Formats: sequence, C-alpha cells, structure tokens
Amino acid sequence: MSVLELENVSYAYEGSSKAVFSDVTLSFEAGKAYAIAGKSGSGKSTLLHLLGGLDVATRGRVSYGGESLADMNRNRYRARNAGIIFQGLNLLTNASALENIVLSMRISGMKGPGLKAKALELLARVGISPEKASRKILKLSGGEQQRIAIARALAHNPDLIAADEPTGNLDKDTEYKILKIFEDLAHKEGKCVIIATHSKRVTAIADEIWTVDKGVFRSVPTKRN
Amino acid sequence: MYAIFNAMKNLVRNLGRNILLASVTLAVIICVSAALAIGNTSEKMIEDTRLQIGSKVSISLDLMATHEQGQGPDNLASIGIEDYLSYGESDYLDKSVFSVQIPMYSSTVFAVDDETKGQKEWQNQDGSVAKAPTLMLVGNSDAETLSEFASGEREILPGGKMPEELNECAISSDLAELNNISVGDPISIQGQSQSAPNYELIVSGIYSDKTAAYASPMYQFQGLVHLGQRNQVIATYDAVMSKGYETDEGIDFQSQYYLKDPRELDKFEAEVRSKGLPRDYSVSINQEELDKVTGPLAGMRGASSTFMAVILSLGGLALALISYLAVKERKYEIGALRAMGMEKAMISLCLLSESVAITIVCLALGLFAGRAVSQPIADSLLAGQVSASQAQSAGGGGKILMANGKTQTSGVNSYTPISEIEVALNAGTMVQIAVLALALALLSGMVGIVSIAKYEPLKILRERG
Ligand SMILES: Nc1ncnc2c1ncn2[C@@H]1O[C@H](COP(=O)(O)OP(=O)(O)OP(=O)(O)O)[C@@H](O)[C@H]1O
Ligand SMILES: [Mg+2]
Repeated sequence: MSVLELENVSYAYEGSSKAVFSDVTLSFEAGKAYAIAGKSGSGKSTLLHLLGGLDVATRGRVSYGGESLADMNRNRYRARNAGIIFQGLNLLTNASALENIVLSMRISGMKGPGLKAKALELLARVGISPEKASRKILKLSGGEQQRIAIARALAHNPDLIAADEPTGNLDKDTEYKILKIFEDLAHKEGKCVIIATHSKRVTAIADEIWTVDKGVFRSVPTKRN
Repeated sequence: MYAIFNAMKNLVRNLGRNILLASVTLAVIICVSAALAIGNTSEKMIEDTRLQIGSKVSISLDLMATHEQGQGPDNLASIGIEDYLSYGESDYLDKSVFSVQIPMYSSTVFAVDDETKGQKEWQNQDGSVAKAPTLMLVGNSDAETLSEFASGEREILPGGKMPEELNECAISSDLAELNNISVGDPISIQGQSQSAPNYELIVSGIYSDKTAAYASPMYQFQGLVHLGQRNQVIATYDAVMSKGYETDEGIDFQSQYYLKDPRELDKFEAEVRSKGLPRDYSVSINQEELDKVTGPLAGMRGASSTFMAVILSLGGLALALISYLAVKERKYEIGALRAMGMEKAMISLCLLSESVAITIVCLALGLFAGRAVSQPIADSLLAGQVSASQAQSAGGGGKILMANGKTQTSGVNSYTPISEIEVALNAGTMVQIAVLALALALLSGMVGIVSIAKYEPLKILRERG
C-alpha cells in the first residue's frame, strides 16, 4: 500500500529559473526501505524536503495517505507523520540530546511521565549512553550528533522516515548498526523508510533503489530482487 | 505548557544574551520607576499644595482694575474692618484669619539696629511731630498661620510659649538680649499719635529668628527699624484690637479666608459681593504664590516625564535591536523547532514568554532598586529647582508694596517654596511601572515575532547549508 506519492512533481528553487527536477512520478510504500542515490547536487535533499513537508512542489502533487501535502497542515504532518533526519541534523544545539527528543515527542502531542524513559531507550538503541544523553549537543561528536538526529526522527513514532545521508559521519560498525535499525523499521515495524545516500552499504538494505541524475529518476534493480 | 517550560529552559541555555537583555531591561525599569516615583510624588504634592494654598483667599484692592478705570487713589471705595469681619462669616469658609500690624514706639525697649536709641523723630500724616516708630506690633488671630513659625524659621525657645492672653506677647531673642528681657518681664509700648493707645504686655515667649532681617535692604538703609523682622512684637489679634480700633486708620489690617473647598471660590465671591464688596476689590487666590511654591515641583514633574520619555524610547529601541539580533542569531534553533513541527504561533508565544519572564525578574529587582535611587535623585533635582526658582523670584523684586505704602512683611501669606519631597513608590506607581515594563517586554517579544514571521523553516535551514 503506497503511503506517499509524487505525481508529475516539478520543483525549482525560488529565484532560480532551472528546475531541480520536473515531472517526477514516484510512489513509496509502507514496510519498505528506499534508497535515493545520486551525485552531489542532483536533488536528493530537495526531494526529501518535499516528502518531509518542509516545502511544497512548484508543480504537481505530493500526497500522504491520499491527501495533498500542499493542502494539509504540514506542521502537524512533520510533528506526527514524518520523521526527518536532515543532512545538517538541525538539532537544538544548546539543549541536551534527551531534551531534543522529549521536545520532539511533546510537539507531536505525546504526553505523560514515561517520555524521558522512552527517550533514553531510543537513545540507547542508537548507542547513546544516558550520560551522553544529558550532555549538550555541542559537546558531542559528529557521529554521536548524527545518531541523536536519527533517534529524534523516530521519537514520535512516525509512519514515514526520510533520512538524508544518515550514516555519513559514522564508522563501519556503527553504520551497520544504524542500517539494521532502518531495516527493522521498514520490515518489522512496517514503516516507509526513504534514505538519500552515496553509500553502497545503504543501498544494500534497500528494497528499491532510485538514482537521480539531471532531474531524472530511474529505478535500479537491487540485489534483493 | 511544555513549550513554555522549554522557553524557560532557554533562558538558562542562552544565559549570556539574556543577561544582556536583562541588564537593559533592568536599567530601563530602574530609571522609569525613579522617574515615575518622582513624577507622581511631585504631582501629588502639587495637588496638596493647590488644595492648601488654593483654598486661601485674599480680598484686596485691585490696583490694576482701578487704574484702568482712571480712578485716582482719592476716590477709591474703602471697606472697613467690620466689613472684612463680616465676609468671614460664610458657610463656604473653613476659617478666617485676621492680622494687624501697628508701628509702635517704646522709650524703654530699644529696637535692634536703632542707633538713636529711640530719639529719632518724624512727622505724622496729620503734621504733628512724634517719635519715629521703632517696633511693629503684630496681632494674628490664628498662630498656626504664622508661616515663619510653621516653617521653623522662627522657634519659641524653651521656657516660653506663644501669646494667648490679651496681655501677652512674644519677641525675638535679639530684641530680648538687647534689652535684657526674659520671659515673664513686662514691656511697655506706645502708639504713634497722642491719642493712640499704649500697650502693657508681658513677654510670654522669646523666639529664635532665622528670617532675613529686613524684607528689603532699603528699609535698613533708611533706618526704618520698625520694619525689621527682629523688631516685631507678636501678640494675638484680640490683644491688639482690644484697644478699640474700629477703622484701619493707622493700622495695617489684613484678612485671609480659607475655603472649605477651593472650587467654591466663585460662590464665596458672589456672597461677599452681595454683602457689598466694591468692584475695586478682587477676591482671589494667590496664583503667583501658588506658582512659586509649586514651581520647583512642576519643574521636577516635567523633568521626570521628559527623562522617562527619553529612557523609554532609548530603552525600547535598545531592546528591540537586541531582540532582533537575538532572533537572527537564533534562527537555526527556530528553524529546527519549525522542522520538528512546532507551530509559528507557539514559537511566538515562547519568545514572548521568554521576554516576559526576563521582565518579571527585572521588575522585582528594578522596583527595589528604583525605590532606593529615586529619593536621592528627587532631592538633587529639587535642590536645583529650588535654587532656580529663588534666583527667579529674587530677580522679580521680592516683597510687595501695599496700596497704602506699607509693606507686607509678616503674617499669613509668605509661603516658602517646597524644598523637601518624600518620594514614595506606592501601589499605583508600581502598577504603572509594571504596565510599562510589560509593554517593553511585549515590544521586544513582538520584534522577535515579526522578524521570525518571514522565515519559512526550509529557508532558515537552507541558509545553514
Ligand atoms: N536554496 C537554494 N537555492 C537555489 N538552489 C539551490 C538551493 N539549495 C540547493 N540548490 C540547488 O539545487 C540542486 C539540488 O541540491 P540538493 O541539495 O538537493 O542536492 P543533493 O543531491 O542533496 O546534494 P548533496 O549530495 O551534496 O547533498 C543543486 O544544484 C543545488 O545547487
Ligand atoms: Mg543533500
């Protein structure tokens, strides 16, 4: 069942005459992991921003559960339905990891005394100890910050996870562990996971791989299929 | 709720910037509370003084009016003592105060500064030659209205009291020392003309006197020692009038009427006109005197509101600028919150609650500090205003020369300008300060809100890459 659909979507940045991509039609299903591969500047991040409801298509329609993102409350969509891991992370840098995650939970409307414990559990899942969880983001390493950004994207239990180079700063072992999480999210928890990446190892866990080049998306056969 | 909680945490997270914001806010609050406290206190004192002085009505010959009508001094209508007394019987009045001054001579009590020891002679209006007056008998029907005593410039020395009985009087310590007079001693003084009554009085009190020795240096120069402040013999009005004066011939009679309500001046005037007060006489409060007394306060009130306006605009500008820069600096944080799905309105509320929280803390500290600084500021401001107004009134010519050529040297109407003020930061003022401070908080919060309103989350986040 497709969760997210792009129909004839074109996008050009404000003030730029050249479209990053035009007339793209794609469909993403629940329970699957997708890899979007492509050279730097090809438009991977731009696509994820559209999927994540941070921006709207210049033309065409992006819809979630059949409803156009352009017409819905995208704040609510970002808070509840989509979990975005930004290439630039965008964590609240002078708050702690724990605070970042609890705040995300709160924004999504989650309540109750158990949030802190849940957040710590989530952080432990990406390999962040309670001690590091209460440190300010600025006092953590790049790889640790990246894992916190992942945990934050999962904090509100979204249906859709859009990750932009989520393993860029990680060593091989950690990358493997994180990819395992993404794989489980798709296959065991039925989420729709979309990952923009350069990494071969990422494409290895994907059910579908799309490459983007000069604004054109092409499906690539996977090892799995 | 969680968002407000997060906002409060932000206060600590961005401590440096918030301390800057708080310092400016605090400085503004301290200045504003000092200015408001001073302004409101002077306002209140002006009002009090207006009620006090504004209730004091004089009935006097209106020289300007008679001059305009082309009347010479000879055909002026005149009113007698009993007229003045009858005006005092009015339901509009709280009280009436009558005072008289009569030049006197004594062969046993020598006047201060009288080098002739009572030997100087002059010609009276009727042509007869008599001893020149050396003393001034002052009678006043209400000792409380003797302003020199009220202001503390004159003070009865221990062992004495103000005259109460018909045979009692009080004299200055200079006069007492010169003549070796103590409390309880009798003195004898004579009127100018042969027919004028003599007074045998007992000194009931001796007072220290810090008033200027003469209202005008000319009096001393001309040897008019009876116009010297130290040469007054103060008795009660009844004591002076007990000798049966019926007209104001040879005596200086003055009346002051105190209204129950200063707003009823018109009604009182209508009443005295119906009792026959001629048009040549005016019924008025002493505006000049009121202005003189309240002048320093009005100056201070003006200064404090100007100061407040300057502080509020400069402070507001500084706060607006800081919040603008702060939001610019925080745009990634705001972008991240927006990306996490927080609504713009919620973020605005958070920014607002941050600045309100800072303001509330500053308000508590500022009220405390404002209270401490406003008194010394008020004192020094007032000192400046008083000397300015003194310089002004000295230039304006000092004492008033009366229609009959006598001067008004003593008695009921020489108020001194207010030179002390007790600055109070009362509840009303605190509310005003709180409102102003919160307005500032809203201003700085609004600047932040307006400047984030133009950011879309993606645009903000994009700028980082
Ligand atoms: N704010 C912007 N305004 C105009 N053009 C932009 C803006 N952001 C990105 N672009 C352009 O859009 C194109 C796609 O950028 P995008 O960031 O999506 O690439 P990417 O595939 O994510 O690259 P990378 O692998 O380096 O992250 C690029 O040519 C880039 O220069
Ligand atoms: Mg990118």
